[in-house]
Amino acid sequence: MNFGDVDWSTFRISAYVALTATTLCILAGTPLAWLITRSDRRISALLSSVALLPLVLPPTAIGYYVLYGLGRQSSFGQFLIDDLGLRLVFTWQGAAISAAIVSLPLYVRTAQAGFEQIEPEILAVGETMASPLRLFLRVALPLAWPGLAAAVLIAFARSLGEFGATVIVAASIPGETQTVPAAIFDAVQAGNQDLANTLALFSALIGLAILLAMALLLQVGGRR
Amino acid sequence: MTGLAIDVRKRLGNFELTTAFEAQEELLVLFGHSGSGKSQTLRMIAGLTTPDAGQITYDGSWWFDSERSFNLPARRRSAGYALQNPALFPHMSVAENIAFGMKNTPERDRRAMELLAGLGLEGFENRKPATLSGGQQQRVALARALGRRAQLLLLDEPFSALDESLRAGLRAELLQLRAQMGLTILFVTHDLREAHLLADRLAVFDDGEILQLGPRDDVFRKPSSRRVAELTGVSNIWGGRVVAVEPPRTTVSVNGLVLVANTASGDLQPGDAVDVMVRAERVNLRRELHPSEVHANLTTTRIIEEFAYGSAYALKLQPEGIGPEIEVEIAARPYEVLGISHRREFAIEIDPADIHIVRAD
Repeated sequence: MNFGDVDWSTFRISAYVALTATTLCILAGTPLAWLITRSDRRISALLSSVALLPLVLPPTAIGYYVLYGLGRQSSFGQFLIDDLGLRLVFTWQGAAISAAIVSLPLYVRTAQAGFEQIEPEILAVGETMASPLRLFLRVALPLAWPGLAAAVLIAFARSLGEFGATVIVAASIPGETQTVPAAIFDAVQAGNQDLANTLALFSALIGLAILLAMALLLQVGGRR
Repeated sequence: MTGLAIDVRKRLGNFELTTAFEAQEELLVLFGHSGSGKSQTLRMIAGLTTPDAGQITYDGSWWFDSERSFNLPARRRSAGYALQNPALFPHMSVAENIAFGMKNTPERDRRAMELLAGLGLEGFENRKPATLSGGQQQRVALARALGRRAQLLLLDEPFSALDESLRAGLRAELLQLRAQMGLTILFVTHDLREAHLLADRLAVFDDGEILQLGPRDDVFRKPSSRRVAELTGVSNIWGGRVVAVEPPRTTVSVNGLVLVANTASGDLQPGDAVDVMVRAERVNLRRELHPSEVHANLTTTRIIEEFAYGSAYALKLQPEGIGPEIEVEIAARPYEVLGISHRREFAIEIDPADIHIVRAD
């Protein structure tokens, strides 16, 4: 195996993208999963469908939408660029937004399973004593933590591996926006099989470690 | 208007629940089989289930009114709610569990401690629920419900998962709390003995409606229908016909056996089909029947079956001659005194006050 060709900055950029995407998933996905658990059936079905949509879209389609939304073609993009000075296209932050959208369905499903494991009676009694926000913060979050932690891991792993959606928004600029998956693609395109091998092996090891951690977490959750 | 008043309808799939009653400072037992609507009724009062139509008020303030689309959130209803599953917050200590539903005032912790002491849980305040026994957990759940400073306590089979010995103790404590604090308690149970022990008044639920609501002894001794009699454990329910009506007495014939009752509900005429109800424990067994005693409610019988329940025996008796099979419940001691184990013929006698007659459905 040849480490000489490896540009270690791709790992740093991948980490930035995945950590940011995971944070976005936590912020948007946790309340969304809780609402899906608590709403009555019709609203729950609607929210659930919206949350799962990225799962059935081609990642390139997601990338295309994000590119359109963040770029000058859309009024939202103009607002970001002209009024807030946020240029996200061709940045790793833009890639992180794409990766977050791709990972959201997995995050929401796993978090939802965590919330659903809470005994309904506990939530019923809690509802007679506390506001919905307090019930969420003081009862639901602490009791659903194994499921939520598993959701964080799966969202992180998924973001780390995302290629199609991120490359459309951020391209693959070495040292700036080139993530590990993008670097593998470029290595294969360039015929550098050694480099592709090395990077793919690293990806597999990291993925395996994350899945192992998740399996252990879910065992903790199941034991309670 | 003090106390609770509810008059609501709720459809749940194919199940239609209609319920209307009032409760003052008392212990009202909502009794019925599972699926009869008693738990759902409690949930609607607690604010956990929204009725389709109707009103709920408590002490003159509105909790629910479908006409104005008004629905007070559960947490704003001054009621404490506890159910069979103690449903303690497992990640909080006992004290935190109790304080969770209380306003954050300086006296909150002191009051939580008082409640713990009142339920015999001193020293448990820092324990986690998982380290407590079932009975202790249920006590904490009660303290938590009481911590809401509610005068209305909604209890859904709170003792059903506990051992009989624990249950007896907790029931006694509940009655004590009620006496001390002047509470209105709605207590859901499917346990007949528990219902009888606790109830000031009793509401009998069946298939989504209240069949009868009244003072406990009225419901137990004067069921309004055959169904209520079945649900409240009346073992002798016979079809019969009215022979004569001479208020306050009503004479009926059951398979030829003539019975005289002091109580009858409804306006009955001779010839009417009726259901005749006698609780098994209200039938007297006698060794001797004097030849000169020839009046109603008295007949000679033969024991054909018996079941030993430990503290009591259930006997099935067949009249010699005409009449229906009669079930008798007799405590273990009189059973021995009468020598029932080696003697099969007995006379039975039923007090006219213990025979209840309603028009057949």
